[in-house]
Amino acid sequence: SRTDQERLLRGTSTLYVGNLSFYTTEEQLYELFGRAGDVKRIVMGLDKFRKTPCGFCFVEYFSRDDSEMCMRYINGTRLDDRIVRTDWDAGFIEGRQYGRG
Amino acid sequence: KRRRTDAVEIEDRLESLILRVGEKSNLEGLASVLEADINNYKGKILKILSDCAVKMPEKTTIYTTLVGLLNAKNYNFGGEFVDMMAKKLKEALKACMWKTARYVLRFFSDLVNCHICKLRSDMWQEKHIARPYVAFDSILCEALQHNIPPLTLPPHHADNTYPFPWVVFRLFDYTDCPEGPVLPGAHSIERYLIEEHLHNIVKEYHLERKQCAAFLLDFPLKHKIPLEYMIVEVVLAELFHLPGPRYIEICYGSLLIELCKLQPATMPQVLAQAVELLFDRIDTMNVCCFDRFVNWFGYHLSNFQFKWSWDDWLESSQLDPMHPRAKLSYRQRIAEVVPEQFDCFVPPKPEPVYKYANADASDLPGADTAHRLESVVRSKGTSVEVLQALGELPNPLRENDETDPPYNPVQIQVFVQAILHLGAKSFSHAFAGISKFLKVFESIVGNNEEAQILVLREMHEVWDHHQQMMVMLVDKFLRTQIVSCASVANWIFSKEMMPEFTKNYIWEIIHATIRKMNKHVGRLQKEVTDARERRTGNDSDDSSSEDEEQRPRPSEEEIERMEEKLEAAQADQKNLFLIIFQRFIMILSEHLVRCDTDGRDFNTHWYRWTIGRLHQIFMMHNTQVERYSQTLSTLLFTQDLDLHILDAFNQFVALRS
Repeated sequence: SRTDQERLLRGTSTLYVGNLSFYTTEEQLYELFGRAGDVKRIVMGLDKFRKTPCGFCFVEYFSRDDSEMCMRYINGTRLDDRIVRTDWDAGFIEGRQYGRG
Repeated sequence: KRRRTDAVEIEDRLESLILRVGEKSNLEGLASVLEADINNYKGKILKILSDCAVKMPEKTTIYTTLVGLLNAKNYNFGGEFVDMMAKKLKEALKACMWKTARYVLRFFSDLVNCHICKLRSDMWQEKHIARPYVAFDSILCEALQHNIPPLTLPPHHADNTYPFPWVVFRLFDYTDCPEGPVLPGAHSIERYLIEEHLHNIVKEYHLERKQCAAFLLDFPLKHKIPLEYMIVEVVLAELFHLPGPRYIEICYGSLLIELCKLQPATMPQVLAQAVELLFDRIDTMNVCCFDRFVNWFGYHLSNFQFKWSWDDWLESSQLDPMHPRAKLSYRQRIAEVVPEQFDCFVPPKPEPVYKYANADASDLPGADTAHRLESVVRSKGTSVEVLQALGELPNPLRENDETDPPYNPVQIQVFVQAILHLGAKSFSHAFAGISKFLKVFESIVGNNEEAQILVLREMHEVWDHHQQMMVMLVDKFLRTQIVSCASVANWIFSKEMMPEFTKNYIWEIIHATIRKMNKHVGRLQKEVTDARERRTGNDSDDSSSEDEEQRPRPSEEEIERMEEKLEAAQADQKNLFLIIFQRFIMILSEHLVRCDTDGRDFNTHWYRWTIGRLHQIFMMHNTQVERYSQTLSTLLFTQDLDLHILDAFNQFVALRS
């Protein structure tokens, strides 16, 4: 329900990151997002059919505080010449990495 | 009842009037309003004014003027205010609130300017600060002055904490800012006061980088000073502050980006000028600051298309190969952007080296098993099947049939090489491989330190050309407890790693390892404290969140078990620091002795770098090292040590003495 969703978003340490270049690598993502805190994992968004990066990813931090740092200082700055957008995400679930092909 | 609410309303109104008073407000009007209320609300007015004095230091002169005007109207009120501030100072000193004490003291000196009290030498002479009281001089100088009550400093107490020694960071002098208003001199009070005001703006708005940049650039005195220079200096001062910056490094990085975006005509140039100055000083820069400089600069450039006047730095490509180098990620991009004279700085392509891949590798012991392992893993084999394949490898450590060697080095070589080779496509692939076969690691590596070091050595062999991969893999190995922190430290200081010693990634690994250890200890510490509090029932204040309410009280045995875990972790932490410091002492002593016998100058790049890294460990982890400082001074940093090495320890001790 909606309140459940809101509660999840308040406690989550996972971020959805959009507007990435298709050519941005995991290396670059860890390098940038690691500056806000300890990254637990990064899940690349993949094209459903070709299984290639398609411009988004999920970044999960070990702590909520670190993900807040990311929202504060990385959201709206550049990665690979593109302005990245970060947003709270209720948590990555297997399957969600596949975007529309 | 009615009268009570009226009183509250009036108090609120007074408070809001006093808080909002500004440079352009009608100070005389406000003074008259307050004077009318002094009889009924004296306590409240005194409290609000004295709070404003320490909470809003940037408005000091406004409040001193206001107090001055009140004093001219009501001498007793002025006296009570002076007494109250004196009491505040005493309390601040007693509570180790140094900053508050400093603000009270500054307020006093400005009260002198407003003819409220007397000091031996009168009047600050500087030109930058707004001085509303000048306009009221005729009123103020009529007023009677108070004597400041004698101030006795509270005696030192063992629990007192004092601020660390503090370096005043200055990058520019007036010759660096040729156009526009003159930069106040390095020792002038106005330079200090403006800087402090800018620092306070950073503090106030650091959570909102855009607002923070806007407020900095809208500084009230912007027409009287070269503002961009002072802002850059203040932001870099925070970034390079020792032992650590006030906020996370990227806070300053993103703030500088916003500043450049808001003021594109001037800010980037000033920042470039700062970078040039810093670049020229790299040789003598504190290693902590060097790291932060390098990290920030790479980040900053990545936000501005890596545009830089690279040609100005060409001479650095002629430097000693041992010279510390700047790290820039995005190898491919950098290779395209920088002039070709920099090719020597561009790292080799980050490709893995799998030692069983070549045709001539078939002679290597274990090559067949490695290839079999590859097909087992590719066909989604389990840990059991992998262990089966590894089981056939004879152990070269076996000397007779009676004793089992603690581990089989060939098994480790084959397995680590194969698993990293198969997971070479990305971090995710590598991590997935490691996670899937944790059981195999457990079984062939276990708790044996030599075996763990061998894992790291094989990893280094495969990924020698990909430093970030190594940093990430060590992190993964530590988190999955395949290797211990102590093993990582011993590996870093091992002979094979000596050629790598001056490279930045090595230090990234060491600090990340120490940090992980510290966090682990910190977490267990917190668990014990929390459990203790819950046991004694101190959790009655219901501020804790709703999902915590149902936790049962821990039993005494549970707490004891937690404490045992904590003690074990602290023992590990102490051991880690002992290993690191001992290894530092060994390699540094060896170098100093060898230079002495060969009659060479010991002060080489390698030496400066290594001793700098030792200083850095003390600096960055000073809170944790402090706990073991006694042990360190009796076991390692003894008086017979070379003074150059001992000095690093003495400086660390001096932080708190």
